[in-house]
Amino acid sequence: MPTWFAKQVTPANENSSSVPPKLAEIPAANSSASRSRRTIHAPILPSDASGSAARGIRISAQLLSDRKIVLMLDRPVLSGFSYWCASQTEAARWSPLASALFESGGVESVLIHEMNLTITLDGKGQESDDSCARRLGEAIRRHLESGLPAMADSFLAYLPSEEQIREGLQAVIDDKVNPSIAGHSGTITLTAVKGNTAYIKMGGGCQGCSSSSLTLRNGVEQAFRAAVPSLGALLDETDHSAGDNPYFTELPAGGGA
Amino acid sequence: MPRLDMLQLTIKMGERGLGRNPRYAINGFDLDFDEIKGGSGPHETLELTGRPKKFPRSMTLTGPDEGYWDIEEIIATYHVTTAVYDASDGGPYTLRLGAVTLDAETKLNLWYERPPQLLEV
Repeated sequence: MPTWFAKQVTPANENSSSVPPKLAEIPAANSSASRSRRTIHAPILPSDASGSAARGIRISAQLLSDRKIVLMLDRPVLSGFSYWCASQTEAARWSPLASALFESGGVESVLIHEMNLTITLDGKGQESDDSCARRLGEAIRRHLESGLPAMADSFLAYLPSEEQIREGLQAVIDDKVNPSIAGHSGTITLTAVKGNTAYIKMGGGCQGCSSSSLTLRNGVEQAFRAAVPSLGALLDETDHSAGDNPYFTELPAGGGA
Repeated sequence: MPRLDMLQLTIKMGERGLGRNPRYAINGFDLDFDEIKGGSGPHETLELTGRPKKFPRSMTLTGPDEGYWDIEEIIATYHVTTAVYDASDGGPYTLRLGAVTLDAETKLNLWYERPPQLLEV
């Protein structure tokens, strides 16, 4: 037993004259109000700043560290479903908006989900991320204000059912993902499929782990998309930020994985 | 990790109010607000101030002991101090949280670190 610990807590049978810790000094971590309650999250609303409102559709950009830009619009672009693509050819088939973004250059992939577009840059040019965000924001605004649709009419008919998506993803989890992270005591659970958006939870050694976002992006997401190409957004519902062992905070307003 | 010196909440009530003074918890410790103004009845507005001076790992607004509490909107202002001075980390920051309903089984996450700077494009 280390000496500092022995000074703090001495068993009664070793030193009967020692004073036991007072109950009142022990943190009431599980006192009545917060005990056994489930933590829920309210949606984060956009601030009241007017920003680009004078130019029509308001778009805010968040620059992430891994060549990603989240563009948040003041209105839904694709409700109830989501769309991800990594090629101009596919975008031209299903999403005129994504196609316009690929045409503007410097884009590796596009995720459209509710009011957000998450764009991964290809990193080939010399343009700064700020400049890219402004250019892409303007391309989105120009496209939508011209009256062109974000998605092709045939997109929803192309999507498999939620049940088919769920079965496809569950098979990947059972056969590939969970066996590969079992060595770290990690688990991935598919909690829901809504439209073609999948919700997962990371458990065991993954919860609160500093590498969990890398595991999700580079491992799980790639395996999911290879097996279920129609998968849109992949959202992590793990309570990393408000649990007992928080590590990172999620993106505001439902930013994509 | 920032220290939360003061938390100010403006809570716009929905259809169902709260029948008692609201409470919050930091890192599992239940706390009372230091100042409570306004009303907690349906469609009233509550203004709450807490001065926890703690380093939150988690912070939650406790739900009602029974029944439901409809919240239309929360405007949360965080006054924080960081251990290391950072020029980008000055002043309080404010978040707007949307509608949510709490019950005896739930608590609402209130802890959000300073949001990343957004660029209007």
